Amino acid sequence: MTSSLSYRLRAALLAGPLMLAGLVSAHAADIDTGKRIKVAMVPKLVGLSVFKANQQGAETAAKSLNIDFLYTGPVTASAQGQVDVFNSLIARRFNVITTTSNNPTQLAPALKRARKQGIKVVSYDSDVAADARDFFIQNTDYAEFGKALVESVAKYIKPDAEIAILSSTPDATIQNEWINALKTYLSAHYPNIKIVTTQYGQSSPSQSLTAGLNILQANPNVTAIIAPDGAAEVGAAAAVEKLGKSGKVVVGGCSDPNSIRQYVKSGTIRETPLWDEVKEGELVMYVARLAANNAIGPNSTFTAGDLGTFTAKNKVIVFSKPLVFNKDNIDQYQF
Amino acid sequence: MTTLPLPAAGVPEREMSAAAPRRSRREVREITLIVATALTIVTVGLFNHGFMSTQNLRFMLLNSVVLSLVALGQTLVIATRGIDLSVAPVMGLTAVVTGLLAQSSGLPLVGAVGIAIVLGLLLGTLNGLLVARLAIPPIITTLGTYSLYSGLVFVYSNGTQVDSVPRAYATLGNGFVAPFIPVPIAVVVLAVALLLVWFMLNHTRFGRAILAVGNNDAAAYNAGIGVTGVKVRVYALSGLLAAIAGLMFVCYTGSATVTTGTGDHVELQSIAVALIGGTAIAGGRGNVVGTVLGSLFLSVILTALVFIHVPPIWYSAGEGLMILVTVTAGMRQNRGGAN
Amino acid sequence: MADPSNPGRNEVTARRRNAARLPLDGWERSLLVLLVLLVAGLCLSVDGFYPGFAGFLALTENFLPFGLVALGLTTVILTGGIDLSVGATAGLSAIVMAELWSGLHVSIWLAAVVGLLAGGVLGAVNGLIITRLRTEPLIATLATSFIYASIATALAGPSPPAGFPDAFNLIGTGTLIGPIPLQLVLFSVLALLFTLLLQYSTFGRRIVMVGYSSEAARYSGLRIDRIVLSAYVISGVMSAFAGIVLAAYYSAVRPDMGDVLLLSTITIVVLGGVSIFGGEGTIAGVVIAVLLLGFLRQGMLIAGYSDMVTTMLTGAILLGAIAIKNILSGRGTGLAALLTRIRGRRPATTGSAAE
Repeated sequence: MTSSLSYRLRAALLAGPLMLAGLVSAHAADIDTGKRIKVAMVPKLVGLSVFKANQQGAETAAKSLNIDFLYTGPVTASAQGQVDVFNSLIARRFNVITTTSNNPTQLAPALKRARKQGIKVVSYDSDVAADARDFFIQNTDYAEFGKALVESVAKYIKPDAEIAILSSTPDATIQNEWINALKTYLSAHYPNIKIVTTQYGQSSPSQSLTAGLNILQANPNVTAIIAPDGAAEVGAAAAVEKLGKSGKVVVGGCSDPNSIRQYVKSGTIRETPLWDEVKEGELVMYVARLAANNAIGPNSTFTAGDLGTFTAKNKVIVFSKPLVFNKDNIDQYQF
Repeated sequence: MTTLPLPAAGVPEREMSAAAPRRSRREVREITLIVATALTIVTVGLFNHGFMSTQNLRFMLLNSVVLSLVALGQTLVIATRGIDLSVAPVMGLTAVVTGLLAQSSGLPLVGAVGIAIVLGLLLGTLNGLLVARLAIPPIITTLGTYSLYSGLVFVYSNGTQVDSVPRAYATLGNGFVAPFIPVPIAVVVLAVALLLVWFMLNHTRFGRAILAVGNNDAAAYNAGIGVTGVKVRVYALSGLLAAIAGLMFVCYTGSATVTTGTGDHVELQSIAVALIGGTAIAGGRGNVVGTVLGSLFLSVILTALVFIHVPPIWYSAGEGLMILVTVTAGMRQNRGGAN
Repeated sequence: MADPSNPGRNEVTARRRNAARLPLDGWERSLLVLLVLLVAGLCLSVDGFYPGFAGFLALTENFLPFGLVALGLTTVILTGGIDLSVGATAGLSAIVMAELWSGLHVSIWLAAVVGLLAGGVLGAVNGLIITRLRTEPLIATLATSFIYASIATALAGPSPPAGFPDAFNLIGTGTLIGPIPLQLVLFSVLALLFTLLLQYSTFGRRIVMVGYSSEAARYSGLRIDRIVLSAYVISGVMSAFAGIVLAAYYSAVRPDMGDVLLLSTITIVVLGGVSIFGGEGTIAGVVIAVLLLGFLRQGMLIAGYSDMVTTMLTGAILLGAIAIKNILSGRGTGLAALLTRIRGRRPATTGSAAE
């Protein structure tokens, strides 16, 4: 089964772009969807729009993949809450658990227990410990995302500008990966841009706003804020506008388009990289289905319906290149 | 000033703060807070002139508005020897409900104000009934309704968040009274709320009843005060003020999520601020001016930490220390005055 | 014990005496019946709740750390105080342990002992602030919880330690004597110890007396400050213990890992029949409440209800239980008093002093 699939994949890859479309849709039908499976999607917490965008995509894909889909998670962003949910999913004999973690290490024992009982674990967005999951769908390559974060502001400021970072919490895994990547890229390509302060908004819109105001008041020379967190970017942009510094201070970072639409239109945010959260949700379901079918290996290539072809490298699947929102394209994305 | 017809037997063991003898002590607390705030502003301002800029001062004031409103209600509750943990979800629920209606169906601001008032009074009254009628201790009542009300936020929003609000809302949260008067409308809202609550607590029968109940509710009952009614109304007011704070929050920040209020632990912050302001957790004493000054002082301290480049991980410790020092110093002050 | 007919008490304490006159084990017995019914109901109706005896017992691993904190918190609440820093203490103690182990290469067992001591020290700091500075327990422990959280975050750094030795992790996930989780053994032993300590020792009687009426306790020549201080030390140590068990359960630590403990634990203690004003309550009641709320939560989740519904239900149960308790004991006015009258009992003293 695996070999026949990879054969077809190779054929698809060799085929010219004209033929690709036809073949890809043929492949979607080729995923074995005979047995109905139960797949759960467990976000960091229920009730945030960026995770709901994943859910939206996942629901669509689940229908065509014969998946019994459940979206459930804790009401606060706590590892304990997620572990409770995992335990209940194990007891309910789900076939696949997909999750974005509040904490890579704390979730590991529960997920390992799940795997021991034959449940497949697929992490997405924010990874868990590598030995606690079967596959990880990385939003975008970290280095590339670091570059995109820098470019979202660097183009619009002086080469020796002072900038600030507004993140979520000091120990947020994915934010720290991005901040490291952006620092590396910054020192290589914009060595004279100086990060004067790093503050945290605790993923809370109000604390992010206060932190943004404080950054700008305490560091009047700052001309850009990079905020690689949904609440933080909104808070930073709102702070800039409240201080009447729109046009003088540019905000970049990453956030879902609905939250930042008004700031992109007003020009406080020139561009912002993210990825298509809805399609990522679809991919999560494809990987879940294929993992349940034992149809992908740790290093393999597979086709996920209309989404195209993806490669797993050492169990890590990079979902897409950064998708950059700006004034011209943001209205095409509604999530 | 109306006097309360207290029969001699019903005179509470502790004197009531609104009565004249306490007044001077209360003013001491207020002056201390004002001096501490001013000193902080000047000291930090010497190192970084931006701290003393009109703009920064205005934002430190604006940043304290939401917490001040919640804490005003909390002060009233604490004055009756109660506590209200449910202010956080009441604030969050109001922010989410009004914000979502404004965002999706363009609810006019008047409507939002109406919804806030109804929601706040309703949820607050439920707390009050549980506390006063069923005699469930306030901390337990509001711990229970904390869970219930935060659940309602999820039920209502299903996780949809508020990302932007119509212009009228944003003006209420950020605008000036008039183009030529650089006073934020939000600050006026707080000032009006403060004035009303202050007048009510210090110059009405109801206010004196609140303090009497906080001092000794059995004695208050014997003195002919409708203890149950007083408590229900106090929790209703606390709910109302928390709801108005929620509306002001969504107007000021332009956003609200399921964790608004609860995520920032507004319930604990509001208790802290009330105590900083000189309200006694043992009841019978409520200083609403002190509460607002305390909230402002907290905002100034937290901003100062950024200006003097304290690493962010220590902000929370700074807040804890400040609470400890102010409250402890305040109690010393009170005891000093009593001896 | 203080003579309950001690003159000079106001009506509030009179009311408390009323409650004390209730057969104390009545509440626990009702809770126990409820627990049995709940577990039986869940076993029968929820598929996956009873996957065999071992799997069923293993469910307790998910909530017993709450029970450990509850034992310590009960001690504090019995004195009439409160400890809001239990979560931060649990987090900080576990971080201290983990950093000693990973940074200074101290043996994990020695590090765990130091972690427990750290919890005791943090509790002592709370106790000293309360007794020496005469700060209200609520505000003192609220302030220290902020401070402890900062220290924990600072110590933990951007990537807190994880991956403890397997032998250590057994504290959180191991079993002893067949299928019995080690956590359950530890909890049972400690619950027994606390019962002996609080209900059958002089120390325990003093704790209760301080909470019942600190004035009476003072008149009887008790050194109240020392008793109160020791209650907070006990709470600190138990919080640290919970933090260490959580560290072993997750094989990882986080500065904020104790945050979830606080509100749930207060709920447990109060539902267990401990008066939030101190001076009344038993460990048995708290233990039953731990199991009741724990199994309820696990059962609801396994039955497919969301965390939100479960949280709301917990709140409703807390309110309902205490309301029923008050109605039965004749507290409250209005509906409560009415029901009391219907039941033909003497209505409670007028007013709603039983706050």
